[in-house]
Amino acid sequence: MKTFEYTRPRTVAEAVRLLNEHGPDAQLLAGGTDLVIELRNGWKEPEVVIDLKRIDELRPSITEDGGFIKISASTVMTDIAEDQRIQKYFPALVESAVVVGSVQIRARATLAGNICNGSPAADTAPPMLVYDAVVAIAGPNGMRRMQVDDFIVGPGKVALERGELVTAIELPIPQRPMGAAYTRLTRRRGTDLASITLCCGVDADGITRLAYGSVGPRAVLLVEMSGVLADPNASHETKADILNEMFLGASPSLRSMRASPDYRRAMLRVLGARALQTAIERLPRETAA
Amino acid sequence: MSGDGVGASARRVGGYGRVTGHQEYLADITLTDMLHVKLVTLDCARARIISIDKTAAEQVSGVRLIMTAEDLPHPMPRFGPQFQDRPVLATGETKYHGEPIAAVAAETKDAAEAAAKLVRVDHEVLVDGVFSVSRALDPTAPLVQDPDLRPDDPLANTNILREHHFGWGDVDSQEADLVVENTYEFPMVTHFAIEPHGFMAAPDGDGIAIWSTIQHPYLLQKTIAKLLDLPLAKVRVFAPDPGGAFGGKQNPKLEPLVAYMSLRTGRPVRLILTLDETFQAVRRASTEIRVRTGLNSDGTLVFEDFESNFLIGAYVDIADRVVTKGNYLAAGPYRVPAVRIIARGILSHTTPSTAFRGFGIPQVTWARESNLDEGARALGIDRLEIRLRNLAEQGEEFVPGDTPADGDWQQAVRRAAELLGWDEPLPAGRGRGIALGLKSGPTTGLSYSTVRLLGDGSVLIYSGTSDMGQGARTVFAQIASQELGVPLDRISVIMGDSTVVPYDQQTSASRSSVLMGTAVLRACQDIQAKVRTMAARLDGVDESEVSVEKGMVYLPGREATVTETLVTGLGPLGGELVGNGEMRKDKDLEHPLGGSALFFEFNATAVELEVDPGTGEITITKHMTVSDVGLAMNPLQVTGQDEGAAIMGLGHTLMEHYIFDEEGRIRNLGAIDYRIPTSLDLPLELRSDSIENADGPGPYGVKGISEGALLAVSPAVGSAVTEATGLIIRDLPLTPQRVWEAMMERV
Repeated sequence: MKTFEYTRPRTVAEAVRLLNEHGPDAQLLAGGTDLVIELRNGWKEPEVVIDLKRIDELRPSITEDGGFIKISASTVMTDIAEDQRIQKYFPALVESAVVVGSVQIRARATLAGNICNGSPAADTAPPMLVYDAVVAIAGPNGMRRMQVDDFIVGPGKVALERGELVTAIELPIPQRPMGAAYTRLTRRRGTDLASITLCCGVDADGITRLAYGSVGPRAVLLVEMSGVLADPNASHETKADILNEMFLGASPSLRSMRASPDYRRAMLRVLGARALQTAIERLPRETAA
Repeated sequence: MSGDGVGASARRVGGYGRVTGHQEYLADITLTDMLHVKLVTLDCARARIISIDKTAAEQVSGVRLIMTAEDLPHPMPRFGPQFQDRPVLATGETKYHGEPIAAVAAETKDAAEAAAKLVRVDHEVLVDGVFSVSRALDPTAPLVQDPDLRPDDPLANTNILREHHFGWGDVDSQEADLVVENTYEFPMVTHFAIEPHGFMAAPDGDGIAIWSTIQHPYLLQKTIAKLLDLPLAKVRVFAPDPGGAFGGKQNPKLEPLVAYMSLRTGRPVRLILTLDETFQAVRRASTEIRVRTGLNSDGTLVFEDFESNFLIGAYVDIADRVVTKGNYLAAGPYRVPAVRIIARGILSHTTPSTAFRGFGIPQVTWARESNLDEGARALGIDRLEIRLRNLAEQGEEFVPGDTPADGDWQQAVRRAAELLGWDEPLPAGRGRGIALGLKSGPTTGLSYSTVRLLGDGSVLIYSGTSDMGQGARTVFAQIASQELGVPLDRISVIMGDSTVVPYDQQTSASRSSVLMGTAVLRACQDIQAKVRTMAARLDGVDESEVSVEKGMVYLPGREATVTETLVTGLGPLGGELVGNGEMRKDKDLEHPLGGSALFFEFNATAVELEVDPGTGEITITKHMTVSDVGLAMNPLQVTGQDEGAAIMGLGHTLMEHYIFDEEGRIRNLGAIDYRIPTSLDLPLELRSDSIENADGPGPYGVKGISEGALLAVSPAVGSAVTEATGLIIRDLPLTPQRVWEAMMERV
């Protein structure tokens, strides 16, 4: 492992300054569950590592504010999965958070880090897309906010400019009843990297939001407005046709050892139909007016 | 049963240190002035080495030695437990992905790693490598081994190392109502010991000291003594308890390299492999086994006919022995009138295969048991029934000329079936399978033990066994506790230092409870005899009037503990009593394996499972494994071994395999893409049970255990998948994708 300078700023402003100063030679450290491996294996050789854990503004916190649940950048998966508000409003995010890595990893890994790492297989990306999450970004020119769909760019790439860091993930509390489910395809049930990540949400207006990852350069979101997918009485065949359309954009790796392209495409259809069904079942039934 | 003696689930000796991280593994040992070693390898399987340029690497600060073939004696020293074919470093040509070409020793690990990357190896990739049985047997394929290494060998100009023929009766003259013929494949899998292999060496006066995570320290001592032309007394081997081994740490691998590097630098050197490097160091032989099973319409076996090809890799290691021992029992625990076995060890440009829990038997069991089920289905006979009908009875010489069946195997099979609920109605969507595994224990053996009963009645046991997690320390201490009446917390077991501990042949074939256990028992009996003499002297009676048993001394008119007798008998000067024990099973040169089975490991595995019709994913709802153990000296340890073996078998059955590219590179080096089962992957219900009839050859009637519960997992699962889905899959592992592909093919 190559030696590097370790810094521990106390404020976001100081972190931004360091980040701006060192640019690509700096790496941010939150949970470290990706970075430490990359350092050990020599895949990343930064000059400076900026540890965010001692910044008061970023301390682990989950707050409700102005119709949003705000999750600070150093909040770990375990805390997210155990938070009652997140369990209530964003159950599919909980389902994804509890399969990230292992018990030990989840006690260190952050939600912000999971997104910033830019992995096409990030477990929390599909639910964040379905829930329309917003990424709060601090930078040399102050704060800005961005939809997570715009923030995720491609493998290892997110829309952060020089000197910028994510301070929080903000999830809008759904205004209409919603049912959602997260599922994934792995080679084993314990700790594994997913060959497919998939989240489906249906709301009381019949809108279906479906996001899937690990079958292309980034997780993608598709929205179906016709109401057919969300209709509990529509036929499986009709839904399958619509889902197949939604999955046309999948471009699974040809060389991956984890699953063949044919298998991944087929499993998108299987998992998509199952997640949709679960989401419909979870949609709170409205009582007749 | 509580307590410290035989039959008690006594607390693991050394267990506390293992679970709290206090146990000193090899990598925890540091030596003053120690250099760190990193191997130099090529990112290809087979290549011609043109030249090696050390210039850039030598510039790295802290580098002390870059060793290449040039720096070693000429001709290149070679070694191996069966054939002396493995070079200390590759010379002329690399034979497999990851074969070391050079090694860097530096003051720090980082410096060694940095320099290793800078060693320039000018080479030509030879794309025409041998990575499969079919290619190896193709007359146009290159020879993996130089024929000069195999003088006077008629097969030297082929890639077949040896072709072995076993069997009895005349298969061709048998008339069967049904003949089932299929070929079954078993992939390359690796041991995945949690502790990677580690090696150290240091000059030691006019000799050398070697540290290794090895299972066979005395074989290592002989190997180093021979290579360096030193007397055994000048080769000191330290063998700290390995953190898991499973056969992968039996035989010397990189110890000769660190020995030469240590002598060259005059300093201690240390090499700890990464997990990725262990994949390139050890694996199980992949196999293609064609089996013809002849059956009568009532399910009686008429003949078994095997053609068994084991792809063993670039150097033999112990693989030829795996081929013979694994295939000799290919027909399993059954009464079969005629058996023909042709078994080949085939060289390839892949990691040398070695011993691995089951020693060739899991591969042949996958083939035999699966084919038997195909026969049972064709005849409409229940799969449990067909096994019971053909199973050898206790005492029956089911392999002519070998040890007769040494257990009530019917009992184990019925117990497994009963635990699973074989006769109960099958829940919708599920399938069941039952399969039997049989492995012979050691065919030869030699173990010595010394036991010292110290002046205060505490005990030291000296044993050359390696305790790699199987619990050998605990059972040896339990034997001494039982015989000398000493609680376990007053007993220490000393292992892993060749200058202190007497010779043991090896730790393999689940032998140690039986062989070393007997040596320990005899050493304790030697002490009991001395206590008896002592007691007779103290009481002025004739020795014939005294008996010593289970820690008690019985004299005319009174009894005393061994410790009381000892303290009085030793008198004011104190001292100790020393006992020696030996257990040997000599070679039988008439026997095809060089000796009959000391005991058999017999196991019946029964599973119930369901298959997800959408994804192909298998959920094992019940897994029952029953082994004939003779007697469980420590029932908790037996359960641990059986459950561990069963889970390891599930890994091989469901998910583990090497994935190669076209040029023979292992693509899934390391844990990310070579998956082993986690606790979340276990069967919903997993139970083990032991059959205990005290009919084994070891102390108190024990047999060896530890491998049995792995042997029959694959065919039991495969058979259940067939019942659940109608699909027959003859290649492992049964990944969701493979099961799904089979479902698609049917459509």
